[in-house]
Amino acid sequence: MSENQQKIQRNFWEKPWGYVESFLIGTGLIFVGFSIEYFVPNAVENSLVFPYNTIFLVGYIFLLFLLYKKDDSNPLINWFTKVPATISSIFLLTLLVMLMGIIPQVPTKNFWVQRLGLNHMTSNWAFLCIVFQLLTCLGFVTIKRIAQFKWNNTGFILNHLGLFLILAIGFIGRGDMQRLRVTTNEGQLSRMGVDENKNQVELPFGLFLKSFTIDQYPPKLALVNLNTGDVANKQSENLYLIEKGGQYTFDHLEVTVDNHLPSAGKIGSKYEAVNEEGSPPAAFIRVKNNENDSILKGWISCGSYRYPYEYIKINDAYAIVMTIPEIKRYRSEIEIVIPNEPVINTLLEVNKPFNYRGWKIYQLDYDEKKGKWSKKSVLELVKDPWLPFIYVGVFMMTLGAVFMFWTGNKITNKD
Amino acid sequence: MISINFPFYGAVIIILWIMGLLLLGISYKQKSFFKVSMLLFFIGWIVIIGFVIQLWSFLDRPPMKTLGETRLWYAAFLPLIGFLSYERWKYKWLLAYTITMATLFLVINLLNPEAYSKTLMPALQSPWFIPHVLVYLISYAVLTASSVVAVKGWYDNYHKKFEIKSLKLADNLVYIGFSFLTLGLLFGALWAKEAWGHYWTWDPKEVWAFLTWMGYLMYIHYRHFHTQKTTQALGILAFAFVLLLGCWFGVNYLPVANTSVHTYTNY
Repeated sequence: MSENQQKIQRNFWEKPWGYVESFLIGTGLIFVGFSIEYFVPNAVENSLVFPYNTIFLVGYIFLLFLLYKKDDSNPLINWFTKVPATISSIFLLTLLVMLMGIIPQVPTKNFWVQRLGLNHMTSNWAFLCIVFQLLTCLGFVTIKRIAQFKWNNTGFILNHLGLFLILAIGFIGRGDMQRLRVTTNEGQLSRMGVDENKNQVELPFGLFLKSFTIDQYPPKLALVNLNTGDVANKQSENLYLIEKGGQYTFDHLEVTVDNHLPSAGKIGSKYEAVNEEGSPPAAFIRVKNNENDSILKGWISCGSYRYPYEYIKINDAYAIVMTIPEIKRYRSEIEIVIPNEPVINTLLEVNKPFNYRGWKIYQLDYDEKKGKWSKKSVLELVKDPWLPFIYVGVFMMTLGAVFMFWTGNKITNKD
Repeated sequence: MISINFPFYGAVIIILWIMGLLLLGISYKQKSFFKVSMLLFFIGWIVIIGFVIQLWSFLDRPPMKTLGETRLWYAAFLPLIGFLSYERWKYKWLLAYTITMATLFLVINLLNPEAYSKTLMPALQSPWFIPHVLVYLISYAVLTASSVVAVKGWYDNYHKKFEIKSLKLADNLVYIGFSFLTLGLLFGALWAKEAWGHYWTWDPKEVWAFLTWMGYLMYIHYRHFHTQKTTQALGILAFAFVLLLGCWFGVNYLPVANTSVHTYTNY
């Protein structure tokens, strides 16, 4: 497969096709794709569903085998198995993805962007065309190597077949994927969700939110530059998790936390422990300035959606503040409700979804404005029947990566 | 309680490495200085590893959340790549480059102090956190090493003394770096499925990760077919590295960053 040093005088479209032909085909495909998109805009909703997508996929793979077996000397088929086809399709796909990275993928009033589908790139006909070209290259080179029946092609086949599976199934199977967002409230049963196109959809089963709980880290103490609004003195430790009795240093300031109330309310000029909704944490601190031996005392609080924050000013430029406590953990205790069947209890957390009857239930979000007092929990139900095939592709590519490491590690300057 | 003092340790490591680089330069004329420079590099490397361990213990969480923390790991991996590559290829300039890049990133960290936060948001509390980030940082370190071949290649081309051997070095590094890059991408997809419901959502970070992957994919395929076309290969290598930097840093500074679920720098 190495190149000759001599330049061979070749006619246009004479086999084997090179880069000029490759880029012509590729850009031609893209042009055709954009033209179709202009007249018949595509959308993800139009994706093929079962069984049409399965028929298409099986038919396509079968066709690849058939074409390869019957006619591998055909210039077109031959072109697909060579690197210029691969590199041109990778390059053109890269260009389109770059566009996707630059042009926001949201509805727009810009005529050309909207009409050419530049703002919904992954369902754009041009994009699909170039993915299809890449997929065909992958298909043919994989078949070619499998047909050689040699063990040392294993790494190659794992990588190329793995990628083929992931791309083919990722695009062809996406019509069968369902994602439903459900906003549940404590003590209420939810039966409806919203899909990606903002349509109301009935859930396959009822979801009852028994309780939603948030664990927070303690609030932090910070020295803030009032002019920039940023944390000061970052060169050393400068954010401390507050603890009652804790002693902390900020440069020449020594802060002692005399009292820390995780849930407090202001009564008069003091804070007392109050367990109401929206009660923020508060702390009584003493700040000793080692430069002039002065001491400042007072209450600070980070505030909440109901109550304002308070801080202690050191001078015109700096203040000691309490930061809003960060979230450590949040979880929903739910019941899955199906008529005539016992309810199923489970706990949902981020990174710990629950599998049920082909659906995976995720803890997504909550009422961020209310924070720890949120009575609302946003869940997501996802059905992805093609996922096992994706996992096969991922597994193959993982093994393929190990082979790549192995191959790469063998490259020395002695070859 | 352990206290953490990056400016001190950072300065110590930088000084050791700069001294090592100077001695490495001298060793081109006086071979005996080479061993001392290697020793200085190695001691500096031990110090940075020690600091990373200390930071991990201090923060009570894997120190892989913020940009500064990822830069620290990168500065810790690069010298190791340098040592291993030198072992095989015996190129002093590659060793010098990896140490220089590591030093540069430590300097960047010194100039951009971050607040030390012991908190870890729920999304990052997953067994995938460490493998995904570590594997990516190893790949970034290895691919950075490969990028210097592009720089040196152009320099050599200009002086008409290019060695095809240095492209083999790039191949060696790119294959290894790319295998880690692929693993990073796959781990990210598997994690995303557990955390966010879908393995791929074309989030800005994912878009740039994909572009980086494509860039090196082009290099590998081009080199496979056109083993003698050196200038173009070097060009693709340099371009791919720009995409890598875009993915690592660019995304956090783009206006679209706050729509990405991958930005975790707050205080």
